[in-house]
Amino acid sequence: MKVLLIEDNEELASSIHDFLAREGYICEVSYNITDAQDRLVSFQYDCILLDIMLPDGNGLHLLSFIRKENIQSSILIISAKNSLDDKIMGLDEGADDYLTKPFHLPELHARLKAIYRRKKLNGSNIIIFNEICLNTDTLEATVNDQLLDITRKEFELLLYFVVNKNRVLSRQSIAAHLWGDYTDNLSNFDFVYQHVKNIRKKISAAQGTDYISTVYGLGYKFNTSKQ
Amino acid sequence: MKLVDRFTLWYLGINVILIPVCSVITYYNIKHQADNGAIEKLRAINNKVASQVQRGVQPSPYIHGVAIAVIPLSSPLPEKTEEVQQREIEEDPELKQADTQLLLTNHYKINGQHYQLTATDHVLRPQQLRAGLLYSILWKLVLLVFAVGITARLVSKYILASFHHTMSRIQQFSLKNKQKLTLSATNTEEFKELNCFLTRMTDKAIEDYASLKEFTENASHELQTPLSVIRSKLDLLSESEIHGQQAKLIGDMQNAVEKLSRIHRALALLTRLENQEYDKREEVGFGKCMMETLATFRDLIHLKDIQVKSYIQPVKVKMHPALVDILVSNLVSNAIRHNMRGGYIAITLNDEQLEISNTGRPPEVPTQELFRRFKKSNQCNDSIGIGLAIVKQICDSSHFDIQYEYVATHHIIRVKFPTEEPSSKLLQNDALILRENPVVVTGMQ
Repeated sequence: MKVLLIEDNEELASSIHDFLAREGYICEVSYNITDAQDRLVSFQYDCILLDIMLPDGNGLHLLSFIRKENIQSSILIISAKNSLDDKIMGLDEGADDYLTKPFHLPELHARLKAIYRRKKLNGSNIIIFNEICLNTDTLEATVNDQLLDITRKEFELLLYFVVNKNRVLSRQSIAAHLWGDYTDNLSNFDFVYQHVKNIRKKISAAQGTDYISTVYGLGYKFNTSKQ
Repeated sequence: MKLVDRFTLWYLGINVILIPVCSVITYYNIKHQADNGAIEKLRAINNKVASQVQRGVQPSPYIHGVAIAVIPLSSPLPEKTEEVQQREIEEDPELKQADTQLLLTNHYKINGQHYQLTATDHVLRPQQLRAGLLYSILWKLVLLVFAVGITARLVSKYILASFHHTMSRIQQFSLKNKQKLTLSATNTEEFKELNCFLTRMTDKAIEDYASLKEFTENASHELQTPLSVIRSKLDLLSESEIHGQQAKLIGDMQNAVEKLSRIHRALALLTRLENQEYDKREEVGFGKCMMETLATFRDLIHLKDIQVKSYIQPVKVKMHPALVDILVSNLVSNAIRHNMRGGYIAITLNDEQLEISNTGRPPEVPTQELFRRFKKSNQCNDSIGIGLAIVKQICDSSHFDIQYEYVATHHIIRVKFPTEEPSSKLLQNDALILRENPVVVTGMQ
């Protein structure tokens, strides 16, 4: 997947760039609107990561530019503006998703994947990893063709793990992914532990491999090398 | 009482006292002047008669309607040659009514013979004068009341025009419009001062509000980016080759960043609430929001093995839709977080109030204090202690009354909706149906 990152903070841009590069994405970075416009007319991108507070203007203006030029990329807004009005405005202007700073990189990745699935793979809503099969439409998960009895949150968590294979996922990032804004009120991450425990139990019950390993002090990792 | 009425009353009050006093002065002045004129006239007549007598002409008993009495005297000339007398006649036979006569007596020595000449004339009677004055006082007062009453109103409209204009402008003034107060020019010194003061004050308020808002926005934007950098670096770091001890350190850092971000978001929200950025009001379904929130927290409730009993009616309230969500989710998550394993939550929502009661450890500080920022009972050290402050602020801005009690091992929070607002009433038809079949959710699993 080819991604254009438009973000004026070089530190953050380099973090995102490194993260996505490690995932095998081609990631190009623009630090301002002018440069981004040049790149957008010259090259094609699958997805655009757009910060709306840019040195040479509001990133939302770029949305109308993208519409006018009929650029078919998906757009994910990453912004420090977290008010409802900004979100609504961004989504109304044609963005596919809106992620507020500070975010976790795995969360960004998961959202990116979700957008990509929705827009590019045209209804290909089934994600398969070895014996695990996830249907993002019906929210059904099967292990060795055996349907798991899992809750919606557990499904989302498993999907999050599969999307971010071999990455350390902190309890915070899992909580943020599953609960979004509600984590503001939930400082206790016990429920993350509970959900992970449930998933592991259910996968094992279906004779699946327990790919999830605990990373001491940090969180969890979906370890594909586990057999 | 209006300003113009006050001025009018004072002015009339002063006149009611002053006009009679002035009339008394007028009375004595007129009387004195009239008498003096009459005396002058009588003296001239006496002198004329004396000269007639000297010339040996027999004087007529009336000259110019003035009665003259000439009396030869044998006694020597008195020292005072002139004497004024006033005489009241109860019933004058000629005039057929009461009369006042002025008598001027002069003594002359004519041809060696002393004469006493007395001229008698009618003068204005004090009663007549007093009656005339009384009428004039009454007329003056009546005219004054009318004239002052009407002109004061007209003039005050004109004079106070700039004041009224200022008042209406202040009433329309709103900080959020960021529009400076423009007041009409006036020639009145006091209004000039008032306008000047108001303009200065409102300009300052607008400036302060703008800078506060700017600070809040900057704080939220500019702080979130570095936080985002830290978070992303920590995410990257956690994927590198690290040992257990380092992982623990990174984990702690992530926790701290998380908490910082939470505090920061909560404070930014609180400031926005205080700045009344959420005063757009529309009818929102409180009951629907309550149900949705409960569904969102279902997993958490389940994880903690909490029993939930809810009686929720489709109440509608008038407030900002985002606030309902924040209010409800804060209260519900509080009830879950401060609960114990296998605890109990009861939620009752009707057109009068929302009551959430939950089991939990007794609070260690007075319950009302928990509405203050960073005040928290020690039950849960992870909480940042702003949730209830936000709830309180939302309630204040929506004119809800909120109470927090701890009764018989239960934490009870009551949010009372204003009764006079018809919009807070529930939809009557739906209510009836629901009253008959209250929604009971037990142990939402």
